[in-house]
Amino acid sequence: MVALLVAYPLVYQFLVGLSVVLPGTGIPLGQLLNVFLPRVTTMVAVLYIGLFAMSFDFVSGYTGYLSFGHAMFYGIGAYFVVLAGSGKVPGLAAETPFLLLLLVGAVLAFIVALAVGAVSFRLTGVYFAMVTLGFAEVARVFIQNWDYVGSNPRDGASVAAGREGFAVGYPGLPDFLGGLPGVIADPRQVRLGRLTGDSFENVLGLGIDLEPAFVSYYAIGVVVLVCYLAMQRVIHSPFGRVMVAIRENEERAEAVGYDTFWYKLGAFGLSGFFAAVGGGLFAGYRRSVAPSNTFDLFVTADALLASIIGGFGTLAGPLYGHLFHETTAGVLSTESHGLARFLRDELPASVLSAGVGDFTLLRFVNVFVDGRADLYLGVVFILFVLFVPRGILGTLRARLGGTVAEKLPERLDRYRR
Amino acid sequence: MTAAVAAVDAVPLFAPVDIGIRAVSKAALYIVIASGLSLIFGLMGVLNFAHGSLTMIGAYLGGAIMVAAVSSGTSGIARFALFFVAVAAVFAVLTAFGAGVELALIRPIYDREPLFQILLTFGLVLVLDEAARIVVTLAGLQPQTTWQDAVGTAPAFFARRYEILGVNTRWALFAFEALVGLLLVVGVFLFLNRTRYGLYIRAGSEDPEMTQALGIDIRRAFTVVFGVGAGLAGMAGVLLMWDPRFGATVPLSVETLLIAFIVVIIGGLGSFKGTVVAGMLVGLVDALMSWLFINVVDFPGLPELVLFAVLVTVLIVRPTGLFGVEEVGGH
Repeated sequence: MVALLVAYPLVYQFLVGLSVVLPGTGIPLGQLLNVFLPRVTTMVAVLYIGLFAMSFDFVSGYTGYLSFGHAMFYGIGAYFVVLAGSGKVPGLAAETPFLLLLLVGAVLAFIVALAVGAVSFRLTGVYFAMVTLGFAEVARVFIQNWDYVGSNPRDGASVAAGREGFAVGYPGLPDFLGGLPGVIADPRQVRLGRLTGDSFENVLGLGIDLEPAFVSYYAIGVVVLVCYLAMQRVIHSPFGRVMVAIRENEERAEAVGYDTFWYKLGAFGLSGFFAAVGGGLFAGYRRSVAPSNTFDLFVTADALLASIIGGFGTLAGPLYGHLFHETTAGVLSTESHGLARFLRDELPASVLSAGVGDFTLLRFVNVFVDGRADLYLGVVFILFVLFVPRGILGTLRARLGGTVAEKLPERLDRYRR
Repeated sequence: MTAAVAAVDAVPLFAPVDIGIRAVSKAALYIVIASGLSLIFGLMGVLNFAHGSLTMIGAYLGGAIMVAAVSSGTSGIARFALFFVAVAAVFAVLTAFGAGVELALIRPIYDREPLFQILLTFGLVLVLDEAARIVVTLAGLQPQTTWQDAVGTAPAFFARRYEILGVNTRWALFAFEALVGLLLVVGVFLFLNRTRYGLYIRAGSEDPEMTQALGIDIRRAFTVVFGVGAGLAGMAGVLLMWDPRFGATVPLSVETLLIAFIVVIIGGLGSFKGTVVAGMLVGLVDALMSWLFINVVDFPGLPELVLFAVLVTVLIVRPTGLFGVEEVGGH
């Protein structure tokens, strides 16, 4: 998985650049692949929302408590970074290192999560889902009416103009890497963002150029990977075993002698922590936030979709789930590389105008393909709930009888002999 | 002393009347919005996330029927009659739809954890909202802007303001909403207490296994109740279409869903009486807070914020809601 993610931008660049013409159509293969492959800018979103989805799965998938207000923690992380970056957080200078902002925002979310959890974990099942949703809605309504955030809080806020891009990395580290001539300007500080980020040319003398989006992708990827490993560490610890025990049978876990309340609370707090890191990365990359893409119920829905499709209760699953989500959304997007645009550009006019009366194929494409990812994702989601409740990764693991990383080499070995 | 009163513009004198009539109309709307959700949860223990989407579809559908049927020459009485025709039509369509959804999607997963039913209905929200967006686009409307054509189909005296007890507001409309709410409460009450299915619901929410053991086909009762719940959701949508404070938009689905959740949960999941009481309480709080926000505090989101705060507080103090029972629903 890691290897795939590391190689992706380069593979993407290579594939999209292919100029081999498909036989019979006259369309270059690269152009066709461009329709279906997620762009690197999209992959950046896969990373930070994937992290958020993993944090959601961390608590909901492993303890069985559905946190319907998880977007609140994502929003706290995101708003904290933007507000601090604009110098609006008292006691923190606007030029505080990004990683420190991420950490402080995450600790803030951790504390909020403990407070929310302390109240919510008195309830179970549907009631728990509702009370967490209630808290998140309070936060959403508050943030979109709090004029300290911005002149028009309903539209969100952005980092004050003039501030340079947020940088992953920490200043003041020994510069044994910075010494490589002409390679990377300052590896201790890699600025994020599609427009404000760093770009590197001819990395390590290999002749590879990295655009800002690619650099952000790797920088964010490192943070996400660290968080993933940390969460995985927790899940495979005795603490994580108790979480699973709570999911499977809470009464029994309690009877065995665990005070389940504290375990649930701990898991919820950690989950809030990592959700806020995801939100902070999002804000650091995009440099602006809005209530609709941070505190909204549909942000939690994204995590839910990703977890169900990828595999509920498998930590890595949500990342794949969200990859699927973004790929579908990319193919059906209204932007320049989507399927709708492709069909409109490539199909002959006679085909496009065919159809019953007023309802031509062109209209069909405009209405049913252009930007309609949510419809198809919803259908896929329902089908998964009905028929594949364990999700892609969960089903795969059940088939293989262990995690993919463990079993795949074994399998391959069998074929080699 | 008198100068001070004049300075506050004499509003506070009539404020209780103003708040009262608004509270009554809001309470009626909220009860109508929440009743279907309450019924479904009461019997089946399924928290129907798609409730708001059904309300939104009902709003568009009912509004479209009204707009199609009413011309400028239609008299006020005919408009009244047509309104109830629209309500009946929407109720029929959505009841059938709800029953179909129950049969096709929810029935297969009763034996799984309740979590999956939440997830499934949540998936329905995504599909229904996006489908509504497609239809609205096809009809040449903007999905994001509020469609308020149906307000114009209301009889003229609903749009007019009257001055009663020193308060100048839409008395006729608010009274009408309160009346419809009352009719609905009486209707559902009769359904629960005077019909066979009402009996099944009450028995089923007490002890589903025993009910089934007594030879009652509780599965069929589930289908009927899910259908009726969906129909009520749609009906609520039609009712909103004469009120200029509302209008049909796709995001209306989430707005009404959250209201329904607040009301049903404060009242206690599974208790229709609780839903009615909570609807009145929430209506009062909303009207009070809206008034406070306009006249005293400067924070636009105040009414919404307080409603959720009430929800959270009630859940903390009484986890099962005002009239909720410990264990509810079951299969």
